[in-house]
Amino acid sequence: MTRTRIRLDDLQGRVVRDADGRSVGRIFEIRAEEQGDDLVVVEYHLGSAALLERVGLSIMGLVGVNAAHVKKVPWDKLDISDPDHPKLLSSRA
Amino acid sequence: MKKGLQLALGILTAIGGFFDIGNLVTAAQAGATFRFQLLWPLLLGTIIVIFLVEMSGRFAAMSGKTIPEAVREHFGVRFWAVPFVVLVLLHLLTLAAEIGGIAFAMQLVTGIAFQAWVLPIGILIWLFLWRATFSAIEYSTASLGLVTLCFVVAAVMLHPPRADVLSGMLPSLPTDDAAKYWLYAVSIVGALIAPYLFYFYSSGAVEDEWDRTYVGVNRAVAVMGMSFGAVITAGLIVAAAMVLHPRHIGVESINQVAFVLTDTFPAWGFTLFAVSMAIACLGAALEVALSLAYTVSQTFGWRWGEDLEPAKDARFAMAYTCGVLLASLVMLLGLDPLKLTIYTMALNAMMLPVVSVPFLLLMNDGRIMHDRRNGPISNTAAALIVVLSFVLFVVSIPLVMLGS
Amino acid sequence: MHVMRELLDKQIVDREEEPVGRVDGIVAELRAGQPPRIVQFEVGFVPMARRIHRGLEGWSEKWHKRFGIRRSARYHIAWDDVIEENVHHIKVDVTAEETVAYDWERWLRRHVIGRIPGATREE
Repeated sequence: MTRTRIRLDDLQGRVVRDADGRSVGRIFEIRAEEQGDDLVVVEYHLGSAALLERVGLSIMGLVGVNAAHVKKVPWDKLDISDPDHPKLLSSRA
Repeated sequence: MKKGLQLALGILTAIGGFFDIGNLVTAAQAGATFRFQLLWPLLLGTIIVIFLVEMSGRFAAMSGKTIPEAVREHFGVRFWAVPFVVLVLLHLLTLAAEIGGIAFAMQLVTGIAFQAWVLPIGILIWLFLWRATFSAIEYSTASLGLVTLCFVVAAVMLHPPRADVLSGMLPSLPTDDAAKYWLYAVSIVGALIAPYLFYFYSSGAVEDEWDRTYVGVNRAVAVMGMSFGAVITAGLIVAAAMVLHPRHIGVESINQVAFVLTDTFPAWGFTLFAVSMAIACLGAALEVALSLAYTVSQTFGWRWGEDLEPAKDARFAMAYTCGVLLASLVMLLGLDPLKLTIYTMALNAMMLPVVSVPFLLLMNDGRIMHDRRNGPISNTAAALIVVLSFVLFVVSIPLVMLGS
Repeated sequence: MHVMRELLDKQIVDREEEPVGRVDGIVAELRAGQPPRIVQFEVGFVPMARRIHRGLEGWSEKWHKRFGIRRSARYHIAWDDVIEENVHHIKVDVTAEETVAYDWERWLRRHVIGRIPGATREE
């Protein structure tokens, strides 16, 4: 069942799987942007570097991790209609 | 001028809030059983507390946020849920123990069984919280708390052997009864690093509207206040060592601790002890009850503040009211305040990782702390505290089982 | 803007910067061919319980049905009502006292706290 409204925080920590069912990583952060009056999701951040980013601490630098290590998935590449099971959409048309 | 006053007040408050039933029981037991040998956990615990209190104050001054607020916001409610529940329970147990301490003091002076005093004391504590402002509580616990200096006076007048006292400040291994030795060592540290102390201090800094200009005052308060409190606790260890140890009086009940002052003050030592214990525990009870209300209110984002009249923050008032009520009921069950204190202090020690680790991570966040983030000294201390806290987490409960 | 770090669990305040509650949940609208749009915050024990454990959400909802004072278990604040978002709080165009989030506060004030003498401190 596709819902039109979901709880965005349901995505936190969920494993993202690709079309073959393989794990791509866990969602730990979501980046959004203001476009006009709206706040829209721009990309999803996966992986342990994203977890550190979510906690938002400067220890990222301490453990030798920086923004480049974060796995980023653009909004149109993730199907979140079932937030408990986010699916990576194929980039092939 | 205002800062000078804040400094004086802060130091006094730190003394007043530092010494409570936990310190009293653990110090007396340590002195009575192991003489001066357990002065080193007091020293170690005091150093840890100075660092943690200084960081709590600095964090509040730079961010305008208290510890529970910051932990929920930065780590999320899923992380905070279980520690929050455990901390609430710890607060209730600690509050019950403090109420027990006051009740026992009343029993010592009047001879009337301590259970009869529990409800009146609960009502008194509640009345203070209901009517007083934060400053009024600060002033009263501060000035009245000075009576506990009698332990220092007693310690000095008993002429303890200086060499033995000094060697007690160095870590040593027990010659016998190792389980009890380490249990007492852990409990002394646990009595010093009780979570309510930091949570109360950080909320107090926000109630007093500290900003970045208070960072210096904060450092002075942390160092001097905690040191003074440690001196008083050391005084009790020494007095117990000089009075109880030679007579082989182990501390099986709080009654026995009262003898600590009778050698030095023959006529009114008993009464002086009772008064000191009552005042120290009352001050601590107020802090614990407030810390409980702060932690709950801040976790859920309610309006909070002791300076506000209860009608303006009904949920905050309800939190401390329920806290005092529940803690009083726990004490009415007839639990032995001594045993309750030992277990609670061990639990405090066990909770140190939960209290310290998230907080120490926050102290390094440049976005909040700006130029006042932890430097190498603070971070080294922080790292050592984290290591020690995990050691304590592992050993606390087994030691309680073995040592009793 | 990082949603989890900067919005979730953040303190919400009203126009006068009085505390309202915390962001316990964030609701987004899914749109075909367009990025998901954040539409509202959820504030309350029930949405908060969901984050901790789904079972806890069900349990707290049952509790709310039987004993709840609040007009609704989930207080919604539309993104459009957000005035300001900074490192300290999210300021929202409401009056705290009038919101669902204060239903318990007002009830306690009326039925418990307010009935005890001394609840208001006259100067």
